Amino acid sequence: MDARTRILNRVHRALEGRPKALLPEHPHLPFPEDPIPLFLRRLAENGAEGHLLSPKEAKALLDELAQGLPGVAFGRGVPPSFREGLSELPPEEAPLGVSQALFAVAETGTVALTSADGRKAQLLPPTHLVLVEAEKVYPTLLAAFQELKALPPALGLHSGPSKSADIGQVMVKGVHGPGRLIVAVLT
Amino acid sequence: MRVALFITCLADQFFAEAGVAAVRLLRALGVEVDFPEGQTCCGQPAFNAGHWEEARPLALRTLKVFQEAEYVVLPSGSCASMVKNHYPELLPGNKEALDLAERTYELSAFLVHVLGVERLGEGLRGRKVAYHHGCHALRELGVREEPLLLLRNAGAELLPWEAAEECCGFGGLFSVKLPEVSLAMADRKAATLPQAEVLTSTDAGCLLHLAGRLQKKGINLRVAPLATLLWEAYAG
Amino acid sequence: MRAKARLYPQEAARLLREKPGVRQAVTGATLHFDRNRLKAYAEVPIEEWRNRAKAVKEHVLSHLDQYLELAEKRLRENGVQVHYAEEPEDAHRLLREIVRRHGVKRAVKAKSMLTEELGVNPLLASLGVEVYETDLGEYLIQLLGEPPSHIVGPAIHLSLEGIQKLFHERFGTPLDAAPEALAQVARKVLREAFLTAELGISGANFLVAETGTLALMENEGNIRLSTSLPKVHVAFVGIEKLLPRFQDLALFLPLTARAATGQRLSTFVSLIQGPAQAGEEGPKEVHVVFVDHGRTALLADPEAWETLRCLRCGACLNACPVYRQTGGHPYGYVYSGPIGAVLDPGLLSLEEAYPLPYASTLCGACLEACPVKIPIPKLLLTWRHRAVAEGLSPAWEKAALAAFRKVMESPALYRLFSKALRGLPPPQDLLPLLRAWTEGRGPLKPSPKPFHALWKELKEEDGR
Repeated sequence: MDARTRILNRVHRALEGRPKALLPEHPHLPFPEDPIPLFLRRLAENGAEGHLLSPKEAKALLDELAQGLPGVAFGRGVPPSFREGLSELPPEEAPLGVSQALFAVAETGTVALTSADGRKAQLLPPTHLVLVEAEKVYPTLLAAFQELKALPPALGLHSGPSKSADIGQVMVKGVHGPGRLIVAVLT
Repeated sequence: MRVALFITCLADQFFAEAGVAAVRLLRALGVEVDFPEGQTCCGQPAFNAGHWEEARPLALRTLKVFQEAEYVVLPSGSCASMVKNHYPELLPGNKEALDLAERTYELSAFLVHVLGVERLGEGLRGRKVAYHHGCHALRELGVREEPLLLLRNAGAELLPWEAAEECCGFGGLFSVKLPEVSLAMADRKAATLPQAEVLTSTDAGCLLHLAGRLQKKGINLRVAPLATLLWEAYAG
Repeated sequence: MRAKARLYPQEAARLLREKPGVRQAVTGATLHFDRNRLKAYAEVPIEEWRNRAKAVKEHVLSHLDQYLELAEKRLRENGVQVHYAEEPEDAHRLLREIVRRHGVKRAVKAKSMLTEELGVNPLLASLGVEVYETDLGEYLIQLLGEPPSHIVGPAIHLSLEGIQKLFHERFGTPLDAAPEALAQVARKVLREAFLTAELGISGANFLVAETGTLALMENEGNIRLSTSLPKVHVAFVGIEKLLPRFQDLALFLPLTARAATGQRLSTFVSLIQGPAQAGEEGPKEVHVVFVDHGRTALLADPEAWETLRCLRCGACLNACPVYRQTGGHPYGYVYSGPIGAVLDPGLLSLEEAYPLPYASTLCGACLEACPVKIPIPKLLLTWRHRAVAEGLSPAWEKAALAAFRKVMESPALYRLFSKALRGLPPPQDLLPLLRAWTEGRGPLKPSPKPFHALWKELKEEDGR
C-alpha cells in the first residue's frame, strides 16, 4: 500500500460517522457604485497610481515614463501601437515593464495578469505599467471570477507596489516585485 | 423579589466588602437577599486547569446549594460565566445545571437587565475611574456596557485606557504556573494605565493580581471591586 | 523540525529575563496588525463572512476524501505531478529525486510553515543545494539561524538595531543604514538567486479542488518570482488546505488578507494551474505534494478536528496577550500562539506539547479574531482535560487541586481553612505556589473577616 492509499484510507476512516456539512452559496450583492472611480480610488489607497485614459493618452503616458530609459519590456498582449518609437529590452534588464491585464477588480484595486502575457515583464522591472480595458473592470472578485472562461497556467492578481515591513516594522517598497505600479484604464 | 448571593471564594476571602456592598445595594433597591451558608467555590480553578474530576463534585454541590433560589447573583464575571456557560459542559445532560444557568447573573447585569436599574445615584461624581474589563465577563458573558453605564450614570469619569480590554494575566492557576508571563501581562496593563483615582473590575482574581503587582511596582492606586463602587454610587 | 514545546515555561521566563527587547518588538508588531484587522473587519459584514467561511471549511473537511480525489484528478489533467507524503522522509525522498534529476544547485523558497515541519531546508543543504529563503523576514532569520517567531511575520521579534548589526557583520553596510538601504542589499542578493535557481519551493494558502488551482498570497512578490522563474516548482500542500470551488477564493482571499494584516487583498496573489505552456515563461515542471504529517489524526478527533479550519492567518497570534509577551520562540514548534497551543498537541502528541495548552488565560481574544471561528478556548480546555486524564500534570498541581477539592467540598473545612488563612503559617507543600504568587505581587492580604463571617451582622442590619 502506498502513501496515497494509506492517507486516503485514513481520511475516509476519520470521516466515518461524522455528519456531512452543507456547502453554502456565495451571495451576489448589488453593487451600487460605478466600478471605475472606485477602482482608481482603491489603487491609490494601495499605493499604486491609477488613470482613466484614452489609448492615445495612455501611449503618451508610456512615452513619458520611458523617457531617458534604455528600453522597455513588453507583455505579449500589449497592442503594437504602444511599442512604437520605444526600444525593447529583456525583462531582466528593462527598468520599465508594460503588461496587458486580463481584467481588474474595483473593490480591491486589483489587476489580473496572465502568464500568457509573460510573467518576467510583470515582476522583474522596478516600474510596472499595466493596461486594462474599461469594460474589463469588474466591481468584485466574485463578479470577475464568474466571467472567467479559462484559467492560464498562472494568473497573478496584483494590487499595488511590492512592499514589506519586515525590517524593524518600517515599510519599504520594491522588495522583490515592482516598487511602482501604474495602471491605465483604457476607454 | 428574593435573590441568593453567591459571594465566590476569592471575594469571600479577599474582597469581603464587595459582598457587603452588594447586599446593601440590592436591599436598597427593594430586593431581599439570602446567603445560603453551604456555599464554597464554583469549581472554576479546577475546571480551567483541566482537573474536571475535582471540579465536578463542586459543581454538583453548587447546584444543590442554590436549588431553591429564584435568582443567583454574583459579584464576579468569571464565576457567573462558570455557572452559566461551563456547568452545562462539565455536567452534560444535567437539567439542574441548565436551570441554574438561566437563573444566574453577574451583579451589574442583574441590576440593568432584571431590575431595570441604570441610575444608582450621584455618589461617584467627578471620580476618575479606570475600568478593567475582565475577560470572562466581557467575552463569555457579554457584560461590557452594563458596568460602564452604571458608573457613568453615577457621575464617574471613565478614563480612556488603551489596554482596558486586554487580559490582565491572572487566569487562575496560570498566575502561578507561568508567573513571569503573568506578570509581564500585568505590567502591560500598568504601563498603559491612565491617571485614575480608582481601578475597578467585576473580578476578584483580576483585582487581586493587579493590586498586588501595582503595589510591588510602587504605584499608588486604589483598587476596588465594582460592587463597592456601585454602593458608593448609591449611598454617596 | 524537532519539537521543544516541553520547555515553554522555562524558555518564556528566560526570554523575558534576558531579552526585554523581544517583548517590546512583538508587542508593537502584534498591536499594529490587530488594530488593522479590526478596521478591516469593521468595513464588511464580517460575521456573515466568518460564518460562511466556517461552513465552507466544515463542508470540505467532512468530504475531504472526495475533494482530495477530485483535486488530484484536476491537477493531473493540468499537467501537474501529484505526490503524497505521510512523514518528512517521503518529502525528502521526492526532493532528493528532483535535485538529482535536474542537477539542482540552488533553490528559492517562499515562506511556508509546512516546509518547516518537514525540515526541507536542512535536507536540501545536506544535498549540497544552496537554499534561499526569499521572504524578507524569513531571509533575516535564515541569516541568523533562527526559527520563525510568527506565522505571517517571522522576524517581528527582531529590532531594527539588531538587523542593522546583522547586515553590518554580513554585508559591511553601515551600522546606521536605513531600512530602505538594507532592503536593497537583500533584494540584490535574492534577485541573483531568483534568476539562477533551478528549483522553486512553496507551500499553499489554498488548493481549489474544482480546478486544481494553487493559491498563494504575499506582499513582496517573492512568491510570484519563486514560482515563475525556476524550471521546477514544488508546492507542499497540507491536506486541510483544500477549497471546493474556484469562486470560494472570492471569499477566502479577502477574508484571510483582512484577518492577517488588515488588507482588502494581499499585494500579490498567485493562482497557479500548472506548468507553463509551450513558448511561455514559467516552470516546465510543477509538483504538488499532499502532506499528512499528523493531519489525518487530527481529522479523526471528534473535538479537535475543528482546528483544521485554520487559514494560517496569524490573527489569533496578534490578538493574544500571552503570545504578545514573548513572540513564538518559547513555544518550541512551528506553530505558536493560540493556534499552536491547540494544533501542536494534535500534530505531535499531548506529551510532547504538554505546556502549550496552558500557555493561556482563556481570555477568548483569539476566538474573537479568528476568521473561521475556531473555538480555541474550548479546545484549550479539552486538551487540558485530556492532559490531566493522561497523568501529565506535575505532582504539586495534582496535590494542590486534590486539597482544594477536599476543602471546598465541605463548608466546615472551608471555614476552618478561612480561619487558618488569617492565623496559621501556610502548609509546607503550598509554599512554592505561594512564593510564585508573592514574588511578583507582594503578600496576599485577606480581608480582616471573610464575608461569610460578616453575614450574621448584615442579616441583623436588615432587621430580621
